[in-house]
Amino acid sequence: MFPTKSRTDVSAGRFDWLTVAFLLGAVLLCYYLVPLLALVLSQPPGVIIQRLTRPTVVSAATTSLTASITSAAIASVFGLPLAYWLARTDGRVKTVVTAVVVLPLVLPPIVSGMVLLTVVGPNTFIGGLAAANGLQLTRSVAGIVLAQTFVASPFVVITAKAAFESVDRSLEYASQSLGKSRLTTFRRVTLPLAWPGILAGITLAFARAIGEFGATIMLAYYPRTMPVQIWVSFTTLGLENAFPVAVILVGIAVATLIVLNVLGTNPLE
Amino acid sequence: MLEVNSLTKTYDTFDFGPVDLTVDDEVLSILGPSGSGKTTLLSLIAGIVDPDGGTISLNGDRLNGCPLQKRRTGLVFQDGALFPHMTARENIGYAATDRDRITKFASLLEITDVLDRRPPTLSGGEQQRVALARTLAADPDLLLLDEPLASLDAPIRRRLRRELHSLFTSLEIPVIYVTHDQRTATALGDRTAIVRDGAIEQVGSPMAVINRPATRFVARFTGNENLFDATVVEQREDTTLLRVGNIRLQATTAAAAGTTVTLCIHPSRIQVHTPNGGDDCHDENAASGTIDRWLTEGNEYRVEIGLDDAPITLTTTIRPPSFDQLPLEAGSRVRVTIPPAAIHLLR
Repeated sequence: MFPTKSRTDVSAGRFDWLTVAFLLGAVLLCYYLVPLLALVLSQPPGVIIQRLTRPTVVSAATTSLTASITSAAIASVFGLPLAYWLARTDGRVKTVVTAVVVLPLVLPPIVSGMVLLTVVGPNTFIGGLAAANGLQLTRSVAGIVLAQTFVASPFVVITAKAAFESVDRSLEYASQSLGKSRLTTFRRVTLPLAWPGILAGITLAFARAIGEFGATIMLAYYPRTMPVQIWVSFTTLGLENAFPVAVILVGIAVATLIVLNVLGTNPLE
Repeated sequence: MLEVNSLTKTYDTFDFGPVDLTVDDEVLSILGPSGSGKTTLLSLIAGIVDPDGGTISLNGDRLNGCPLQKRRTGLVFQDGALFPHMTARENIGYAATDRDRITKFASLLEITDVLDRRPPTLSGGEQQRVALARTLAADPDLLLLDEPLASLDAPIRRRLRRELHSLFTSLEIPVIYVTHDQRTATALGDRTAIVRDGAIEQVGSPMAVINRPATRFVARFTGNENLFDATVVEQREDTTLLRVGNIRLQATTAAAAGTTVTLCIHPSRIQVHTPNGGDDCHDENAASGTIDRWLTEGNEYRVEIGLDDAPITLTTTIRPPSFDQLPLEAGSRVRVTIPPAAIHLLR
């Protein structure tokens, strides 16, 4: 291993590129942090707390949390098996499937909403069938969940895939050679070792879902989620009225980072 | 008994087999260079990879199509493949819930003191002992080991070699030990199989493979660097008279007069003397020459000698104190003798 700092470098008094690099990067850091602090400090805490208790804010927070937890759960139920399959499969099919999984990440969210409307919209076969059975796939919590799952589930698949791949296959072979079934091997060897990465993926998916706006507004303007409520407050009552909900979302983002760092497997690092 | 018949597997860039192999309750060392198909053979027998053709049967039961977890085949990997989230005790207990069994194998492999530690805190040797204890605790009918000593330091490897030899002997099940290290193969194996390009070149006792290689590849791979073309001059009752350049050699292997054969002499079998030494040896198996160069390899010396009467260079190994008693340096004159039994003929 190379030493991180040599005595010669310190004593020679050379031009310190590392400090220059940090100072340049600090400009970007300020660009991230100043607006966030400005948002949090823009109004007295008492005013923000007072506005947080308004029925529209409480309703938006409840809808967002309910839908995001559901989306993250759906993404996990279907995403984890896909992630495991991708981690244990080789060849061209894997490349194609991975590309399909990544597609919602690179697609503009508003386009994702349009794409979903062509499948689950009120005038489509699936949308019509669901509506006939009493389930509205648009302008409903179901619509929000569909939009959030579409854009957030790739985080579960990609992160969990990396977590499964990090589990050496020889450990699974060793377990099976000791007489354990594939299911037991998965439960007792693969899952415990991949779990921090899987949990990180689910956390990321939840954070992405709760902040989803573009696809959600196309599928379900009502009931309002927090991002939609921010948009409505901003366009009708002005920026200040959008602050309380925004503060909640910032809090959730910070909590997400804390969870990821506690897990020790922040995939964004 | 393990029986492998016409086993084949085709990959994009590598064809394995057909391989035929029978392993009784003994240790078979599979020796070969990297990429020769050693691990493929192990993977096929273990059930990690499905063969394209051929059969594998253990104690009369056909293993083809039988899932890995039902083969009763113990697998030990190069890195141990211990479950890092479990202690050594839990690793062994994973295979055997019976407490006595854990104690028995921990005691047998001298790992009682480390049972409550997790694998990352164990040394390489301890990890391999735990891996072996875990595998044996599952009471396998067949034991497959994929270079488990390869990543260990030489002193630990030597010690484990000795211990494993007695352990394997006591198991009374077929054991296949894959390695690229000739010393490990000969130390552990009752028989050695040499693998090359997905096929078995030779199977035999370790000494037979080293002293009587079947092919040039086996000869070179087992350290027989002295390979020369020779003409069979005469086939006598129990000896064969050969000629290499102007040197006459007697060998005990039979060959038809007038044919050309390849001589194979292991460096350790060649004796080096002072220019006037070696008189007690048969004239026909003695030659004079000059040392071209020598180098130290561990505790022995590898010496290359250019012969006067033939355009060949003999490579020989000399161990102390013989080396110290000879005035050897580049340019020194020496006399070499080769016992007839040390000359093996490849056709």
